[in-house]
This record gives sequence, C-alpha cells and structure tokens, in this order.
Amino acid sequence: MVKVAIYPPNSLVIADLVERKGHQPLALQKQIRQKIKDPEIDSPPMNITEDDPIKGLKYAAIEVPSGVRGRMSIIGPIIDEAQAAIIVDNAPFGFGCVGCARTNELSIFCLRKRDIPQVELTYPTNQDETMEMINDLHAFLDKLTEMEEAGEFAEEEGDD
Amino acid sequence: MARPVGNNLCITPEVGSEDMDPDVSTRMIILGPKANVSESEVVNFLHLLDLPLTIKWTCYGAMVSGKDEYVRQAVEELRKLDPYGIFTKERGFAPGDPRKCRGHRHGPREGFHQMEKEFLILDYVGEALKHPKEVHIEKKEPVSLDLFKEVLENSFKEEKKQEGK
Amino acid sequence: MVKIALVSCGTEYSGIQKEIEKAALKFGAEIILPEIDLDFINEAYEKFGFSAQSSSLKLMIARAMSIVEGKCKPDAVFIATCFRCAEGALVRNEVRRFIQNNTRIPVVTYSFTERTKADELFIRMEALATTVTRRSILAREKQEGLTLGLDSGSTTTKAVLMENNKVIGTGWTSTKDIIESAKIAADEAFSNTNYSWGDLDGIGTTGYGRFTMGQEFKAELVQEELSVNAKGAVYLADCQKGEATVLDIGGMDNKVITVNNGIPDNFTMGGICAGASGRFLDMTSRRLDVDITELGPLAVQGDWRKASLNSYCIVFGIQDLVTTLAAGGSKADVAMAACHSVSEQVYEQQLQEIDIREPLIQVGGTSLISGLVQAVSETLGGIEVIVPEYSQHIGAVGSALLVSGMGHRNEQ
Repeated sequence: MVKVAIYPPNSLVIADLVERKGHQPLALQKQIRQKIKDPEIDSPPMNITEDDPIKGLKYAAIEVPSGVRGRMSIIGPIIDEAQAAIIVDNAPFGFGCVGCARTNELSIFCLRKRDIPQVELTYPTNQDETMEMINDLHAFLDKLTEMEEAGEFAEEEGDD
Repeated sequence: MARPVGNNLCITPEVGSEDMDPDVSTRMIILGPKANVSESEVVNFLHLLDLPLTIKWTCYGAMVSGKDEYVRQAVEELRKLDPYGIFTKERGFAPGDPRKCRGHRHGPREGFHQMEKEFLILDYVGEALKHPKEVHIEKKEPVSLDLFKEVLENSFKEEKKQEGK
Repeated sequence: MVKIALVSCGTEYSGIQKEIEKAALKFGAEIILPEIDLDFINEAYEKFGFSAQSSSLKLMIARAMSIVEGKCKPDAVFIATCFRCAEGALVRNEVRRFIQNNTRIPVVTYSFTERTKADELFIRMEALATTVTRRSILAREKQEGLTLGLDSGSTTTKAVLMENNKVIGTGWTSTKDIIESAKIAADEAFSNTNYSWGDLDGIGTTGYGRFTMGQEFKAELVQEELSVNAKGAVYLADCQKGEATVLDIGGMDNKVITVNNGIPDNFTMGGICAGASGRFLDMTSRRLDVDITELGPLAVQGDWRKASLNSYCIVFGIQDLVTTLAAGGSKADVAMAACHSVSEQVYEQQLQEIDIREPLIQVGGTSLISGLVQAVSETLGGIEVIVPEYSQHIGAVGSALLVSGMGHRNEQ
C-alpha cells in the first residue's frame, strides 16, 4: 500500500480510484478529522487556531497571508508524508481548504519538488478525456504496485 | 457557560463521544448517475451487514460512520454491489456535526460543491473502469533534431513547389 | 437577533472564526452564511465579471450576489479577506462597493491576520449592530433643537453645544476625572450662551468615557466613536452623500474610517508607534522652541527634502532633526520634515490596509497643524484633504448631531 498524495486533496474520483487499486489516498479529510476531534482545541468550526498559520511558516514566509499558511498547516503534512503523487490540473477546486489559488499553487509546487513518483493529468471535459484520464491513472497506480513489490518504497520508509 | 444557539455557524458543538473518537471515521457513499442500485438499497445493504455503524441516507447516497475497520469492511462489501456505480470518499466531519451541517448554518459545506462538480463525470469514470485500456504514461519527448530538420526541409520544398506552379 | 452575513474566502483557515463569532455575539448579533448552490456560484461569478483564480473568492462574489438579489436577507454584511492578499483585497473592495451600490444593508470590511482578536473586531461589530438597530439615527443629516455632545477621549475631553444646525459653543479640557472633565468642558461650551444644563433637549456621549458620562448625565445617546466621528466628519465637511475617508491623527493613536453615505464601513486604528502620532510633532515643536499652534504655518514655508531624517522613530528621528538644526538647517525645513515623517509613517502603518476614498476629511487636534495636512495630501499623491471647521471637536459635534431628535427632555 503506497501513500499517495492527490491534488485536489479532496477529490472524490481520484481518492476512490487510488483506494480501488489498493493504495492509500492521503486525503485532506483525515487531516481535518484529526483537527476537529481534538478535544484540547475548542475553536469551531475547524479547530484551526492562531497557532496553525504559525505552523504554516514551515511552508511559506510570514509575509504570506495567514489564510495560506493556515491551509498549508493542514495540507503540508500530507505533502511531507506522500510516497507518490497524483496532480490533476484544471480540476474543479472546491472551496474551503482548496479555495485559495495561492495555497494550491504552493501545494502543487511542493509536491512537484519532492522526489517521488508522480503523474500530472488534466481534468477531463468530455467522455473521451475521462476515459483517458482513468486509464492513465490506472497505469500509474499499477506501476506503483509494481514498484512496491520490487521493494522500492520499503527502503524509503527507513529514511528520515 | 451557556452555549449560543440558533443558526450560528460557529457554535461549540454538542457532539457525542463517538464523534470525538479519533478511530471513528465517516465515509460518503456517492452513487453515480447510472448506478444500478438506489440510495435505499445501499442503506438497506449496509444495515444488513450488521456492523456497528451509523448509517444515514442522503441525497447523493449514504453516509457511514463508525470505527475505521468496520467502515472499511462495509465499503469493501458495498463496492461489490455495483463496482462501477458506487464511489466513496472520506469526510472530515461526522454526520450532522453542527459545525458543518447545512441544517444548522444555512449554506452547504464547502466540499459539497466540489462533489457536485465531480458527480458530473462519474458516469464516464464508471464506464472507463468497466472497460480498462492498456496505456503507457510516458512523458512526451521533443523530436530529434534530424527529424525536425527533415520535416522543415520537406515543408520548404513543398512551399517552393507551390510557388513554382 | 441581528443577522450578519459573513462574506469571506476563509476566515476559519486563519484561526479567527471564533473571534469573529465572539465579537458578533457580544453585540447581540449572529453570523450566518448566505445559502447558494453551485450553479448560482458560476452564474453570479460570470455576471459580476471579476476573474478571480481562487474559488473561495468566487464563493464570496456569489454570496454577495445572493444578498444583492435578495435571496438571502441579512441585516448587515461583514466582508473579510486575508491581510496582504492582493486578489483578496481587490475582490473585497469590489464586493463591498457592489453591495453598497445596490442595497441599503450596512457593510463593514476587514483584512485580518492570525493575530486578529475579538477585541479588534468589537468596535466594528458594534458599529455594524448599531447601524442596523439605529439606522434612523444615523440617517440624521441636520441638527435640531438644543443639544450637547460630549467626547471623553483618553487625553482630552471635548464638549460642543449645538442649536438648530449650528455650533454655538465649544469646550476643551484635558481628561482627568471623566465626569469632572466633562463638566468643565460643558461649562466652557455654555459660557458664551444664555443656556445651561436645564435647557438641553438631549445629550450624546462618545469616546472611552462614554458609558460613565452617559450614566451620570442620563444621556439619550451613548455611541462608539466610529459611527459618531464618521457622522460628525461628513456633516461638518458637507460630504453626507457618497464616499469619504476620515483621518484622525491623534495624540496617542490614529484612526482611519472609510464612509459610504455617512455610514462607516471600514476602520483601522493604530497606536503602536509614537512616531506616527501627534506626539512626534509635539516633541518637534518643543525642540524648535515654537508653540504647537505655530508649527503648522512654519512647516508650510519649509521644504522637507532639505532636512535629513533617516528614521521615523520618536527617539532617533528627533535626534536627526536636532542634527540638521545644528548643521545650520532652517526651522521651517525641519518642521516640514517632521510633518512628512508623521504622515509617511501613518501611510505605511495604516493607510495601506484600507481603500482610501476621496475626499479625505482630516479631523482631531492635529488637523489644525496645516503643515501636517499638506504633508498628508502630498504623501497620498495630492489627494483632496478637507479640514472642516470644528474638526478638533469632531466626536462632540457628531454626538450633538445624532442625539438631536432623540431627546425631548424639555417637553416632558
């Protein structure tokens, strides 16, 4: 099971496919759940407090708006944890966590920068393109399985 | 302290102990436009699995909440019902969590709109899943210089021919 | 409960959602989100015509559209985006204008950081809530009867007596005991008239000491300074319709208020640097050995470029001025350099986070320093700056104006 970061991180289609292929989609929802279930924090609705944009300083400088840093404090750990990445360009971004274009630009850049297997696809606009995207995704996910069987990810886990 | 009530979107929620349990997760079960099962069939099927889960019927399908392992088990079983019509995605907030529930704060959750949008291609996704094609994802490389030169020369020749006529 | 619609691209991700809620609840208001669906978002976004990349800004636009089209009926709107986000600031201002031009719903805007605390939001929420509940009062454009306005600030207390749309007496004293100072200022305002406390139709109070004074004098109107100063400024400057900016460089802190049809919709307050306050000019006049009232006219004759000033700081900046004087620089140049230093510092600290709208109405004690007014205009690229008569009594004038029509104590 390879940990796959997906972008947009709350995509239904991609998360679903990754799971079908036996890998683990690193979905945003999990991060959020950790936050909102923390009984120590009482800052509804998201339990994001002043501290989170400060944690986001790991990814963006202080001059970057607080909303970007706050979002990066949630998305950043996913990027760090990923063993592979699927980035979909021109995807219909939802709002909220992924509603800030600057955050998305930074997140995608951070993913690209990581030395992990990754694929970039374009969000489909018709049936043919959808078929193409799904088949491409399948091929990529199968490759991940092969790589995993070859023990390529096991070595990485020992690192850092 | 008295809790503010009403439609306020930032109330301190009165959620149950299960909702605060980090091992508990929530899954949205989304039916594609051409799914072979109905929402009620999905809900019935989930109930019949007899797992300790909270199951909620929704406009897009269902929501399942409970311990991670049971949720995973339920989703696995459920997929078999209609592998190309049932899709699932995790949800951060528990069903009916007043912090994000539409019933409490007028507007829908932010994520809802993305789901609405992605729902539109689920049909095609199901179709593609049913008929997988062998593809190779290779990055496109620039053509070799020789080929480029050849094409260029050919096109010049072509142009001259045209002019000569 | 007053319903305030939140139009924002993500206050929750800056960790300040709770602070906004807290501030709203304190003034008997609750925050709601306008209901919209996906189709409406796209439709609204296209109709509005601003190509924003961030989808949450599209959501903001759609929420504003939903309010303008009456799909959602809030009593007030709070528009907020992250401080330092260019895209956010542009949409924030356009959405603000859009709502103001098409509805009568009061709006307050704000650019926040993770440091934003409920305290900072209180005065905005109070202004919003009072705009809703006291719309008829804020709509007042003419003063009637005999009213007294009292403004108890942290350093000075001001009183203004008005009768039939005219100021007939003013009083000013430094604030010591709130009630005693108010009485001194009021007596001064009464002194050249034949009136006394018993003749008043109404009393309005504002400023830090407004609640204490309100209780003591049984005031008909006790109002925060944001609404009062904005109203007083546009009334005195004859700018009650349309847009304006009110700037008050105080002895200790500064206020900038943007106003639309007499109602405030954004506000910043600074008080972290003495170099950006009237105190800097006070120190300068003492160093130059001129009275503070002479500093302005002196400065107007000078050229700030001729005095070297390498720091805005009240310590190092003043030191630079002394050095310039020692090197033979003229007093006028130094005075003007000091005025420029203050206005530039106000610009850098405060004016950048607000959308300046012409005309700029400068009020407060420092508005009497002509050199500073000129410097402010120059710093802002030659913007029109109005200094109305009684500008130093702005809060008291605003209170006297707003309370008229509320007080009927002589009829009872």
